[in-house]
Amino acid sequence: MTVALTRTKVEQALSHDFEAVAAKLPGGRAVTEARKAAIGTFAALGLPHRRIEQWKWTDLRSALKEPLSPAVGGAAKTSAPDIDAALEDLAALDAYRMVFVDGQHVPELSTVAAAKGLEIASLAAALAKSGDHAGDGLIAASAIGQEAVIALNTAFMTDGAVIRIGKAVRLDKPLLLVFARTATEGRLVTTRNILELGDGAHATVIEAHVALRGAAPGQANTLSDVSVGDGAHLTHTKCTVAGEAASHLATWLATLGKAATYHAFQLTASTGLARNNLFVTFKGEGAKLDISGAFLGRGAEHIDTTLVVDHAVPGCESRELFKGVLADKAHGVFQGKVIVRPDAQKSDGKQMAQVLMLSQDAEFDSKPELEIHADDVVCGHGSTAAEIDEDLLFYMRSRGIPTAEARALLIESFIVEAIDKVGDERVRAALAGIATRRLATLSASQP
Amino acid sequence: MLEIKNLRVKLADEDKLILNGVSLEVPKGQVHAIMGPNGSGKSTLAYVLAGREGYEVIDGEVLWNGEDLLAMEPDERAAKGVFLAFQYPMEIPGVATLTFLRTAFNAVRRKRGQKELTTPEFLKRVREEATSLGIADEILKRPVNVGFSGGEKKRMEILQMAVLEPSLCVLDETDSGLDIDAVRVVSAGVTKLRSKDRAMLVITHYQRLLNYIVPDKVHVMAGGTIRKTGGKELALELEKTGYAEFKSKALESA
Ligand SMILES: Nc1ncnc2c1ncn2[C@@H]1O[C@H](COP(=O)(O)OP(=O)(O)O)[C@@H](O)[C@H]1O
Ligand SMILES: [Mg+2]
Repeated sequence: MTVALTRTKVEQALSHDFEAVAAKLPGGRAVTEARKAAIGTFAALGLPHRRIEQWKWTDLRSALKEPLSPAVGGAAKTSAPDIDAALEDLAALDAYRMVFVDGQHVPELSTVAAAKGLEIASLAAALAKSGDHAGDGLIAASAIGQEAVIALNTAFMTDGAVIRIGKAVRLDKPLLLVFARTATEGRLVTTRNILELGDGAHATVIEAHVALRGAAPGQANTLSDVSVGDGAHLTHTKCTVAGEAASHLATWLATLGKAATYHAFQLTASTGLARNNLFVTFKGEGAKLDISGAFLGRGAEHIDTTLVVDHAVPGCESRELFKGVLADKAHGVFQGKVIVRPDAQKSDGKQMAQVLMLSQDAEFDSKPELEIHADDVVCGHGSTAAEIDEDLLFYMRSRGIPTAEARALLIESFIVEAIDKVGDERVRAALAGIATRRLATLSASQP
Repeated sequence: MLEIKNLRVKLADEDKLILNGVSLEVPKGQVHAIMGPNGSGKSTLAYVLAGREGYEVIDGEVLWNGEDLLAMEPDERAAKGVFLAFQYPMEIPGVATLTFLRTAFNAVRRKRGQKELTTPEFLKRVREEATSLGIADEILKRPVNVGFSGGEKKRMEILQMAVLEPSLCVLDETDSGLDIDAVRVVSAGVTKLRSKDRAMLVITHYQRLLNYIVPDKVHVMAGGTIRKTGGKELALELEKTGYAEFKSKALESA
């Protein structure tokens, strides 16, 4: 039975806008076909809404009210100091840099060095070269399920980073991918990254999703398609400080080869609406996944982390630790699903989500889920929401520490356990700095 | 001087009276002991002096150097020199002991109008005190009290006390759960801090601590009041007779 749905203003605009901009989007015939198919999928699905189980706490249909025009080409002029200011502590990181402004690669601001066994290109360039063949996995992600957000990404993606690291190649410095939003009137910015690590390769990749000073409200739809080869090691970090008037829809799709290590972390703060979708699939035995995050919400911010870890093969280990601090009327969501397939014996999965509630009006919804079809497995999950411990606060105050300082210290000590999970020491220090600055305003908020 | 006058305290959200008219005075330079059976209200008195929430003062007053202590916030009291060594020190995951000490130290120094120390000066101070209390350097890097043994926690309380230089020290059962060697170390730490500018209130269930920290006066607390006051020999008497006498009276008055 089909139900005739009335489409919202935003849904109608998206379909309509696609027709208008399709010709300007990069890619040959095969890519264009894939985009058309994707917008068709989207037209059938509409924006995710609360009656769809995985979206019940993040109803995009009602949250996204104003249509935004898709950004296609013509990035606003931006200076390196502006980017550095938006990057905060990450600016000082000794890293290769690839900068995207309003979804457009800006080579002048990028410092990517060429190295043997390393292929780095902008997605726009790669798509342009693809001709009649989609090939090379550039749009493989569109095959994943009936996800409207992914379909939109396929339809509208303008640019991103394509990084292919050859067998046993070690990237000597972290690679920082910067996605900056400018003051150009409200835009829908759609980017996609391809991260491929060959067998035994090592790399540290950071995505920074930031807003330049005075940035207009906008929406980002970003997707990273990650594959970590046998015995390869990827440290993948995302720092999202997109601005209070911004929506950020992020999808990470990762597959891990035999004995691969994927060390992922996501910090989300100062972002109006964030949905972080993570899908990780073990493809080879003996792989390790460590995926963690910290989210800081205040005002009416809404931060959702939804992850699915698929133990499709035996003998893999997954660890997840997400910690959030919610002030004012902020709303946090954590949905974590661990699937253990019938053959995936000796799977070891642990998942934990913990939130510190700084206000009576803050809200946290959590749904940890285990779907286990094998018998010889060790799996566990948990979720807690707590307030600041008054006894600890008194203990600290009795030592002369003023309330505000004591609260700040307790909040920081809560979140530090998650930040400590950041895989690279220098990146960890930078993220700690960015988080601490936000915590100062959070701890000053009214309980 | 600490002056506690007819202090009556109940639980804030329950109709339960815990301190039923406590009066005592501790002049500067003196050490007074409070002894008494479990549940007599000793910790409650200590908490009320430090400013813990959850209690309601329904009568009486507490003056410290002539100032109304009960009107002050806990951190203000600390700045005025009040220090409570907790019967059950709290664990603070994620906050390194040194960071905690430093934050507290700087806070009270600022409020007292004293200059903060440089990091090397501060570290030197803390290490000296820690060494004399037998606290290993490595422990100072660990989160406050997390995974510490009972003895380590109590030593840490005394270390905090030594570093923060209070003028009114309240020690709540600092000896409980310690073996005799630890009692000696902790007592030595406390005794070192005895001075003509400091008043101390040492709460204990057992007499043995008072062999090492010899009090000027001993008060017996039972049923939420001071039932008897005497010299240090009172502690020895209690060691022989126990608290039976006070317990029965406490029940009668209840
Ligand atoms: N926060 C509290 N809630 C409930 N009962 C309390 C609380 N604090 C103290 N009491 C009660 O008050 C009495 C005195 O307790 P306490 O001061 O801890 O005695 P002591 O330290 O002498 O053993 C006990 O009966 C105890 O159960
Ligand atoms: Mg007690």
